[in-house]
Amino acid sequence: MPDIFVANEQENKKENSQEVDKKPFKEQKGTARHNLSGHSHNPFSAFSYYPDRANFVTQDPDEKIVLLLRKHPISNLRWIFIAALLIIAPFFLTAFPIIDFLPVRFQTITILFWYLLVVTFIFEQFLNWFFNVYIVTDERIIDVDFVNLVYREISDANIDQIQDVTAQMGGAIRTVVNYGDVIIQTAAEVPKIELEEVPYPDRVSRILRDLRIEEEQEKLEGRVR
Amino acid sequence: MMELTIPVIGVSVWFIVKIFVLFALLVYTIFSVVVVRQVNLMTETLKVGLESPLKIIALTQLILAILVFIFALIIL
Repeated sequence: MPDIFVANEQENKKENSQEVDKKPFKEQKGTARHNLSGHSHNPFSAFSYYPDRANFVTQDPDEKIVLLLRKHPISNLRWIFIAALLIIAPFFLTAFPIIDFLPVRFQTITILFWYLLVVTFIFEQFLNWFFNVYIVTDERIIDVDFVNLVYREISDANIDQIQDVTAQMGGAIRTVVNYGDVIIQTAAEVPKIELEEVPYPDRVSRILRDLRIEEEQEKLEGRVR
Repeated sequence: MMELTIPVIGVSVWFIVKIFVLFALLVYTIFSVVVVRQVNLMTETLKVGLESPLKIIALTQLILAILVFIFALIIL
């Protein structure tokens, strides 16, 4: 005789999969960590969840990176467009001979120098995008800023010092491509950390919320590091 | 090309232009050294597995700057 009070297997499976989604991000292990849509472990990724090989200069030995964020790649379009114009600019010299008054040897050096400057411009813009990152670890949020060539600024706030998280997404392009700002008010020395133009701001704020819950739980259980 | 000279000091205008160009290239070469240092600082700050390619690009840029400087020294 069939047991009418035993839920069928399909319902059980559904509940289990929902449980995985509801679990705090920190508790998700193995494949569950990699199921978060939109993230990638590519070193160029702007939204990397539990990145494989990332580490940073002020990282504690037992500190784990949960999120590695950069500005959305679409924010690079402006300088890529400018770089494309700079690359093709010397080809217009035949139509507009503005350096024709120079001897040929000077013209050659001028064009070579121009391309050196273009290479530097492209490399600097790329470095600026690649290394200005936001890192969320299981303990804190870190904002790494390279203000100019040799000036570095690293500000951080502990997860338990977060007061308020606001995810902002406005404008047509941001809505279509799904990126925006996450503004974090903290009780730390740095009162506000702004994660600018990051992909999936709503997911970021959810991960931060889960980390805060996790941190509070750790405090209650006396597991604080 | 017409050979222009400055009458008072009797030096070719192109010689003065050459000095300016070489100075600009020297400044650029020094800047490239700073870029190499900058890349080192950046890769020390954040490691994601792309340190070597970025350092190679920065060094290539420095070598190119030196080569263009030497080239300018020869042909100008």
